[in-house]
Amino acid sequence: MEDYIVEMRHITKRFPGIVANDDVSISIKKGEIYAILGENGAGKSTLMSMLFGMYEPDEGEIYIRGQKVHISSPSHATKLNIGMVHQHFKLVKNYTITENIILGQEPKRRFLGLLPAVDVKGTDKKIAELSKRYGLEVDPTKRIEEINVSTQQRVEILKMLYREAEILIFDEPTAVLTPQEIEFLLDIIRELRNSGKTIILITHKLEEIKKVADRCAILCRGRLVEVLDVENTSTKTMANLMVGRDVSFTAEKKPAQPGDKVLEVNKLCVKNSEGFDVVKDVSFNIHAGEIFAIAGVSGNGQEEIADAVAGLLKMSGKIVLDGEDITDKTVRERALAGISYIPQDRQEVGLVLDFDLAENLALRDYFKAPFCQKGILRREEFDKHAEKLISEFDIRSGQGTSTVVRSMSGGNQQKAIIAREIVQNSKLMIFVQPTRGLDIGAIENIHKQIIAERDKGRAVLLISLELDEIIALADTIGVMYNGEMQTIAPANTLTANQVGEYMMGVKSK
Amino acid sequence: MKKQKNALGSPFKRGFAAVLGNERYQSITVPVFAILLSLLAAAVVLLIMGKNPLTAFASFLQGSGILPKPNYAAKKSMVTDLFSMLNMLTPMIFASLAVAVALKAGLFNIGVSGQMLVSGFAASVLVGYSDLPMGIALPLVLIIGIVGGAAVGALIGWLKHRFNINEVVSSIMLNYIFSYTVSFFINTRFIDPVSRQSRSISSAARLTLTNVELGAIKLDLPLGMLLAIPMAFFVKFLLDKTRVGYEMKVVGLNRRAAEYAGINVGRNIVLSMAISGALAGLAGITFYMGYYNSIQPRVLASLGFDSIAVCLLGNSNPIGILFSSLLITVISKGSNYLSSTANVPQEIAQLITGLILLFSACGTYIRYRVSATKDELRDLKKRAEGIKDEGGDRV
Repeated sequence: MEDYIVEMRHITKRFPGIVANDDVSISIKKGEIYAILGENGAGKSTLMSMLFGMYEPDEGEIYIRGQKVHISSPSHATKLNIGMVHQHFKLVKNYTITENIILGQEPKRRFLGLLPAVDVKGTDKKIAELSKRYGLEVDPTKRIEEINVSTQQRVEILKMLYREAEILIFDEPTAVLTPQEIEFLLDIIRELRNSGKTIILITHKLEEIKKVADRCAILCRGRLVEVLDVENTSTKTMANLMVGRDVSFTAEKKPAQPGDKVLEVNKLCVKNSEGFDVVKDVSFNIHAGEIFAIAGVSGNGQEEIADAVAGLLKMSGKIVLDGEDITDKTVRERALAGISYIPQDRQEVGLVLDFDLAENLALRDYFKAPFCQKGILRREEFDKHAEKLISEFDIRSGQGTSTVVRSMSGGNQQKAIIAREIVQNSKLMIFVQPTRGLDIGAIENIHKQIIAERDKGRAVLLISLELDEIIALADTIGVMYNGEMQTIAPANTLTANQVGEYMMGVKSK
Repeated sequence: MKKQKNALGSPFKRGFAAVLGNERYQSITVPVFAILLSLLAAAVVLLIMGKNPLTAFASFLQGSGILPKPNYAAKKSMVTDLFSMLNMLTPMIFASLAVAVALKAGLFNIGVSGQMLVSGFAASVLVGYSDLPMGIALPLVLIIGIVGGAAVGALIGWLKHRFNINEVVSSIMLNYIFSYTVSFFINTRFIDPVSRQSRSISSAARLTLTNVELGAIKLDLPLGMLLAIPMAFFVKFLLDKTRVGYEMKVVGLNRRAAEYAGINVGRNIVLSMAISGALAGLAGITFYMGYYNSIQPRVLASLGFDSIAVCLLGNSNPIGILFSSLLITVISKGSNYLSSTANVPQEIAQLITGLILLFSACGTYIRYRVSATKDELRDLKKRAEGIKDEGGDRV
């Protein structure tokens, strides 16, 4: 038997409405770089969260160095010499690097031989040495707020090393880095492996795996598809394995009958709050009766396109709705001009959770007659409107129109938003991640509604991270990668694998 | 639902959850529970002092004209005390409403005292020292009070919207600026050399009619009360039934949803602070030109800060505020009488008022404890059921 340092056998983890990991078994050798590849929601992070003690598996067993273990908490995992760099760093901004690293395990010394004090100075030296040994180039006396993201990541790595981790888990470590920083990080990862550490790399970026990983496990919809030797496998095969499969749901839909051009987006550019370009010169058109779907891995600028079209983000370029230039219009003016928007974050953006259902269902219309007359709201009209939508869209709630939305299930919250936006009778409907976190029944229902809207002659902009959803619904597909539109093509000319390759940036125009 | 086995948590916890757990009545049960807690704490202090808490609580009510005192001076009666308490209640209602309006829009107006001072001073100088007849003076005082307070409130809102300056910081700083500026002018221009306060305003400009003789008794008639109670209902109407109120609440509850819905967030922040400031302005004129008739330099009215606790105790609900203002005013008014009759030092009487304010502000904490206890009990119940029928999974 080979010398496996980590073995996860027949791991199953269920969350309400979804099986995140289904009978997954992986074995990791000491001193290798083991990549876990999969789409968003394939179950990579869940699997590793169980190894790091953040969740416990429903079924299956974990063995560390041949010993069966129940990892009950991250601190337990730390004791087993397992460390994890999360996608979102867990650092205290106004503390120095050293202070962050020793947080929770402060080395004590006696001040004036009496008072207990934290030995920061002594640790500074120790950390500087550690940093030098692995080529991390970190100045331990700097504060977190003074250093850039890439250095912060190295602090996270140092934190693991300081806690004597032997098994290092990296969750999407390159998502936040520039290409040069990625190279540097990959060097560090190699260096760590050479000094005997075992590395687990969660990612959906193929090039990185190709560059550093020894072996690679591919997850798809919670199942383990295959474990490959990276050296003998092409990135194309990996991409196909990752996305290539039978589409799990097909929506019945008639061929599209596109009409006039409804939305024209011309050279759209959007900067994020840090001033980086997240959308670069994106142009596309959507016609009446057409579903235009934008595919892409999360964070490649798709969500920003939706916000920019709805008027929530500052942008440059030009947006024309049904012949009317709406580039400089406010959110409200655009809504009145005919844009409905189902936002990605239904609880933080789409709803006021502490309002009741009737108030939420009128969030787009409260200022219009008959809801509001001479500045005075008419509750009976709110209720009437809400009752109509509740029965039409089958929104389930405990106390009818006066149910506080916070108490409703996610699926019904989403139904409420979709109902509210559909009855606006807008020319353009924007759906962002309309089925995220919902169960199969709800998903099918929403897909039917999206197609029905198209058949009524509306233009539909669908933005989704689920490739299946895009393939099932789209008439035209645009693929975003790194803020740029890689391709725009009729849906029937693209296979899921091709879309996947564009999404990964493997293929470009 | 409420059927739980004895094994499921201590009876105390279950009682706690059963009495306070129903969300529908929490807006009443939680403040009442907070008041009971505070009275309990006050009773402990009084017992330590060697006083009978019940007599002490009775003297709160006697001092504010709700229970009769053993004896009265000539031309005074329980009604005199009651009206004197109402005179103090008037600015308290306005000030607490001011806090409530801002809170609905997600803002914390801690500058009520400063806004009170500005409007009280402006109205005193412009109208209080003139010889305008009552029919002109009083409406003018009202207008100046509203406009002055609203202007300060709007400034705070604008600073928040335009420069993202936290309203708490700017209102505290403005409190100081107003306090020192006003005392500079009082000390240099309007000082009364005997009282060391600003000169008394003309009685024609005063919102309280003093020493009115009604039959055999004399009393002070607070005219502002005629406005304060309708104002509470108006604020309730504004918040619950109007477009302005709807937008303000959306901004307060979820700013991103407000932007998404096309609501002008900045305008609503300025507007809600202006309304809040206007109410604080009304508190200012009824305080400095009603309850008092002069301004003490370099002192900010503590009523402006107490109003925050009063607002929280009243659940930020305008009608609830009518009751919580009454309670707090009764206690602070009664504390004077308590110290004189029960021989409790003034400081202790103040301390008890403070304790009550402290406890009344912790409704949110009580609510949190209630829901935590409920969760705990639910977990216990689930676990007990899980043991009974293990494996019976249901999706």
